[in-house]
Amino acid sequence: MSFTITQDGLSKLVNEWLARGKRVAGPSRVKRDCILYVPLQGPDQLLLEDFIRPANSLKEFLFPKHERLFGYRINGNGVELFELEPPKTEQLLIAARPCDAAALPILDQVFNWDCADEFYNRRRQLTTVVTLACSAHDDACFCTSVGLSPCAERGSDVMLVKLDRGKYEVRCHTEKGRSLMEGRLEPSDQVASEPLGPEKRFDPAEVREFVKHNFASAFWQSEGLTCLGCGACAYTCPTCHCFDIIDEGNANEGARVRNWDSCQFSMFTQHASGHNPRENQPARQRQRISHKFDIYPEKFGEILCTGCGNCTRNCPVGIGALSVLTEIGHGEHL
Amino acid sequence: MNEAGQFEPKIVAYVCNWCTYLGADLAGTTRLEYPPNVRIIRLPCTGRIDFNLIVKAFEIGADAVLVSGCHPGDCHYTAGNYHARRRWILFRELLEALGFEMERIHFTWISAAEGRKWQQVVTEITEQTRKLGPYKNLYADTGNGSLPIPEAAPAVDQPAGSEGSLRQRCHQLLADGTVKVVIGYGTGGPVCVTKPADVGRLVWNNQCSSNLTTYLKRQEVRKLGRAAIVVKVCDERALVVLEKESQLDRKDLHVMGMACNGMGQPKCATCDVRVPRFADEVIGEVASVPLAGPPNAAPRGGAALEVLLAKSPAERMACWAREFERCVKCYACRQVCPLCYCERCIVEKNRPTVIDPSPTVKGNFAWHITRAFHLAGRCIGCDECTRACPAGIDLRLLNLSLAKAAEEHFGYRAGINRDVEPLIGAYSLQDKENFIR
Ligand code: SF4
Ligand code: SF4
Ligand code: SF4
Repeated sequence: MSFTITQDGLSKLVNEWLARGKRVAGPSRVKRDCILYVPLQGPDQLLLEDFIRPANSLKEFLFPKHERLFGYRINGNGVELFELEPPKTEQLLIAARPCDAAALPILDQVFNWDCADEFYNRRRQLTTVVTLACSAHDDACFCTSVGLSPCAERGSDVMLVKLDRGKYEVRCHTEKGRSLMEGRLEPSDQVASEPLGPEKRFDPAEVREFVKHNFASAFWQSEGLTCLGCGACAYTCPTCHCFDIIDEGNANEGARVRNWDSCQFSMFTQHASGHNPRENQPARQRQRISHKFDIYPEKFGEILCTGCGNCTRNCPVGIGALSVLTEIGHGEHL
Repeated sequence: MNEAGQFEPKIVAYVCNWCTYLGADLAGTTRLEYPPNVRIIRLPCTGRIDFNLIVKAFEIGADAVLVSGCHPGDCHYTAGNYHARRRWILFRELLEALGFEMERIHFTWISAAEGRKWQQVVTEITEQTRKLGPYKNLYADTGNGSLPIPEAAPAVDQPAGSEGSLRQRCHQLLADGTVKVVIGYGTGGPVCVTKPADVGRLVWNNQCSSNLTTYLKRQEVRKLGRAAIVVKVCDERALVVLEKESQLDRKDLHVMGMACNGMGQPKCATCDVRVPRFADEVIGEVASVPLAGPPNAAPRGGAALEVLLAKSPAERMACWAREFERCVKCYACRQVCPLCYCERCIVEKNRPTVIDPSPTVKGNFAWHITRAFHLAGRCIGCDECTRACPAGIDLRLLNLSLAKAAEEHFGYRAGINRDVEPLIGAYSLQDKENFIR
């Protein structure tokens, strides 16, 4: 016995949310070769099947690429600060991939660590996540290597699992999810089979051991050599969360804002003196892997990676975390 | 708005210190009346008026911009205005492609003696702008803009045997010490091969569309010593530009040219060379396509650029607004570009901030205008920027609009001819000035 919803049922849900002035975001084909999570104008923009995953991640709906934190005005010789209205629109993230949803509880930790991030938390409360279990994977996917799977529940309020074309089994995991789906489901005796995940590609414990003890290894030199130092990996990663803070405005007024930043940029660690503690790209690559597989687990008890493979797919030179991780796993450094 | 509630345009005038500023001063001292709508910003020379300033003026609310300096031949610094003129010719084409309202951007030559011309120009521009109304469509997504999708060429197999010959030659070069590293294509992406035994990692197939010459700027790769680099003819053009700009010494480089059958990319549809022309050695043979050099060359922008340019300015701007909205400022487009080699990019300068670093509408337009224009007359059309973009933004069309302008106005194609001076940096007394009054 299970409960199901059809594509039409989902369209209705999207329409209702939009009609009430709420936000709905999900995968959409923005142009021929580009599928992204975007705010939807209508259910026909929602793309449910026949692709692996969007090229961006869900994080931008909770931790946007650009956010105004507070405003300022210059008054004579003084500066007046003022609060900006925190987000208040409820949002539905629909047909999210499980690897995106799983990133949210991971991010919750860092956004509530030494201080509770008001903007992030507010958005998180206002968000309902409906995931769609993956029915396909590609060479870049590696959720199973980091303890997740194509139908991992983590971070989902509701999970959809494909039954037939246009028909989904619905599994509500939270109260939010149950109330979202109330009155929309059909009972059925069909039960979806568990989708097949990618084979395990490496062992994260082994990676952690390696990065702990090989800070100065020549391995990083060869791994990082072809990295060009862009932010394509970090900006499309569901878990990368570094940001930069700047003041933006004119002579009279402005705002303090935060923008995404990436440890792969040479400017990221550049000191005012000109000294750069991570002086080359290999050192920056090492940082990205260490942060995800050693530093974050040490601090928060879990890996900062959900195996979505976005860094690998989006890397213009075919690196991404996966190639580095599998090489560590294969002992190619020895 | 004036007191009567009528629209009063704001006009920013960038003028040179030696001619137009004095001309405006003369207008004042001789009590010529003209509308008070113009805000004058004085700079040493038109050659020093950065294109970003024009954009900036609009960003902060100007309804029109006037740029004015000394007449040709009168420049206080001999040739500043000639350099400026050449840049404006190209810059106007970029702004056109982006959908700026060109009737709001004015260029004039006004000498120190031409107080009356200053009066006339300012009066006319003010009147004209008043009729146009406020500049509302700047960076506006006013409608259903979607960029035309370029047509790709069919993917073809590369010449049989090329891969084997490439590996063999690289083995020799590494073994006899001619080079210390080979920068080539591997299965998953670029590889740097330093040991003869590893040449098996090198591949040559129809997946090798990326441009490896970008590694020549990477300090980590430079440190490895003398390099052999694998290039196709489209990539090779970057070497020509880098050499002309004193960024590399060909003596330090061994160039392995690959005859190419096409990689199935849009750029291949208009590729007219196929066999590297300046390589130290060429591997493989393909049916050569003759180089259709300027001025007889067909428009190389392809159909997509034509479609874009046929739209109205508001539609063009809507297209770009929609594209740039997706930009996250990951700078992959910059990092893969072989010709973006500045150690510190202008977007990273923050004293003062020149380009708004935020990925907002304004900040993204500013970045894309700067990126494209810093490559004017330099971009060799490898399309790496477009390939690298995780947001699927078609930067190619902006590059092409500038390449088209370079070809049409100056008969110039970047990286084709080793003997011609770089387009920006040189000037000619004959450069057209029908848009300057
Ligand atoms: S543009 Fe020309 S040389 Fe470059 S990949 Fe295409 S066909 Fe080959
Ligand atoms: S690669 Fe794309 S998303 Fe990244 S900065 Fe360039 S245009 Fe923006
Ligand atoms: S701007 Fe783009 S197409 Fe032009 S040279 Fe740079 S990477 Fe290649």
